[in-house]
Amino acid sequence: MNLEKVVFGFFIVMAMTLNFGFFIGEIDNPLHHHVYELYAAIVVNLIATVLKFGDRTQIGAIHLATSLVADLQLIAAAIVWVVFSGSADDSITITRVVSLSGGALVANVVSVALLLAETITLRR
Amino acid sequence: MNSILFLILRRMRAPIITVIITYTVAVIGMTLMPGHDPDGNHWQMSLFEAFYVISYTATTIGFGEVPFPYSPQQRLWMTFSIYFTVIPWFYAIGKIISLAQDPSLKQAFITSSFSRGVQQLQEPFYIVCGYGETGSLLVGALDKKGMRVVVVEMLQERINELELEDHQSAIPNLCADAKMPDTLLKAGVRHPMCGGVAALTDDDHANLAIAVAVKLMNPDLPVLARAENDETAANMLSFGTDHIINPYTLFGDHLAMEVHALGSYLLHEWLTGVPGDSLPSPACPPIGKWLVCGYGRFGKSVVENLQREGMSTMIIEADPELTGCDECIVGSGAEAHTLHEAGVTDAVGIVAGTDNDINNLSIVMTAREINPNLFVVIRKNKRFNEPLFQHFNADITMDPSDIIAHECLAHMISPLLAQFLLLARAQNNQWANQLISQLVEIVGESVPETWAATLSITEAPGVLSLLDDHVEVRLAHLLRDPSNRERAMGMVPLLLVRGNEQILLPANDTLLQAHDRLLFCGQASAKASLPLLLCNRKSLSYIIDGKEIADGWVWRWMRQHLPN
Repeated sequence: MNLEKVVFGFFIVMAMTLNFGFFIGEIDNPLHHHVYELYAAIVVNLIATVLKFGDRTQIGAIHLATSLVADLQLIAAAIVWVVFSGSADDSITITRVVSLSGGALVANVVSVALLLAETITLRR
Repeated sequence: MNSILFLILRRMRAPIITVIITYTVAVIGMTLMPGHDPDGNHWQMSLFEAFYVISYTATTIGFGEVPFPYSPQQRLWMTFSIYFTVIPWFYAIGKIISLAQDPSLKQAFITSSFSRGVQQLQEPFYIVCGYGETGSLLVGALDKKGMRVVVVEMLQERINELELEDHQSAIPNLCADAKMPDTLLKAGVRHPMCGGVAALTDDDHANLAIAVAVKLMNPDLPVLARAENDETAANMLSFGTDHIINPYTLFGDHLAMEVHALGSYLLHEWLTGVPGDSLPSPACPPIGKWLVCGYGRFGKSVVENLQREGMSTMIIEADPELTGCDECIVGSGAEAHTLHEAGVTDAVGIVAGTDNDINNLSIVMTAREINPNLFVVIRKNKRFNEPLFQHFNADITMDPSDIIAHECLAHMISPLLAQFLLLARAQNNQWANQLISQLVEIVGESVPETWAATLSITEAPGVLSLLDDHVEVRLAHLLRDPSNRERAMGMVPLLLVRGNEQILLPANDTLLQAHDRLLFCGQASAKASLPLLLCNRKSLSYIIDGKEIADGWVWRWMRQHLPN
């Protein structure tokens, strides 16, 4: 067992699960989506991105790309939340934020799929 | 370039993750600390506000307590955050700065910009390995001739020297070991425009390694290698090295040429010189008894060649056993009594050929004091002693780097030039003198340009299209001025190669054929204007019959279809 692989897999899966946890629930109900969960998702996603730095393989490049997409969408969601909170109807704001995080979720799913594919093709 | 980016990213992993984690903890803590707004209501910072506060705190900007004055709990957490976030932040910045100064990263940058520079070369170029005395001479000469060069050198100081010098065109250079195949690949051994490799380091083994590596990686590429030992030379030959240059045998050879055919020697020096330099003044070694001081590799070659020319030689050698000298006078040659013993008074010439410059100078000065009429040949080992040798003004100064550079030039300018020089050597002195006087008439007393031209479809489409139409194109036509057919350009055709046939100094009325290869020598202006005649059918036909042809689709159609 390789500790590096454990950490790597942990952060990638965690990024997806947190993202999913935030996304799940009624899209326009602010009670179903907690701000700390989004915050945690962003942080874990950023760490996952940094962990993917420096891999020269083709699959490594796709890994990095999916993470960058997820980061971009989650950060966009956070910005939307900060900018629109208080100014518009809360349910409209939360709808926008959750839909953005839904996009990030797809990227995270792809990332996990890549991780699984890589693991399965690994022969020894 | 890509690999550098990955290198940076990989090194930055740890600092960036540290920064992210510390920020996360500090921001969370900040939002959890209870506080009060100015009205005394319970207030907790939002995540965004906390991130804002931590961002300016960690970067030590410090805007103060925003948006309201903090409660003691918030201040407590803030104090903790300051130490907790500022340190990782500085760690990350320090890492970035140290990365920028990292020698391996710098090397990666230099190497990648070098290989990019080589890849972008669009014209034929030569790779010169070793930028010592010889290398710098050769690179300077090639650059003056307008040829592109790539330099690989082990020592950084010499690379610095190269960068300080003023060259016409950019010279990609790399400080690396040329023995490494990877370095040679980066220098462009497999580049389609690479014209050849010159291995000129002062280490025979390195030269051998370079020659072998190049021949294995790209067998068709010509390799010129310097070799001072016979075993190395033999080894190089077995690997198919095209030209092995031994400065000592070459000098001996040249000396013999000076003795029996001064004209041929001058011609050789002249055609392989750097354009614009003045002509070397001829010195004709006298015939008679010669003293040779130092029987090393240089001395042996000189003695062998002098004896072949029928001169008697007397050897003075300090260590006869080491050098394998049977008949000699023991001594360094710098003392008057050894010279007397060797018979300096009735000698006609002396060769100071030890590997120590000061000894050599001392030998010839002592000898000249005894016999002022001596013809002096002196070997120069170190380039920095140049002023001493200039001051002494010997009849012939042998400079190994100069000889190697000339020999390399002869092969690099064009394979035709080497072929011509070989043929010229077989001619007699009178022939050479005649040619020299002809050249002097045209180009004056400075070194002329030498260049080759091939009547191929890419190099001479104009000539070929006329030949296809069965027009007789003579060599004389190519020697005319394209703007005025009455005037001849200042150039002399030296050699015409047609298949296996070699015609030395082809006559002006020679009929040209496709795929002829020609070697010319003359003024720079002639070299510049020749391509016009070779490529432009109109200019060439004007030269041939003095008529400007109407050349355009309509005119050609009219000429073909309308009588007169």
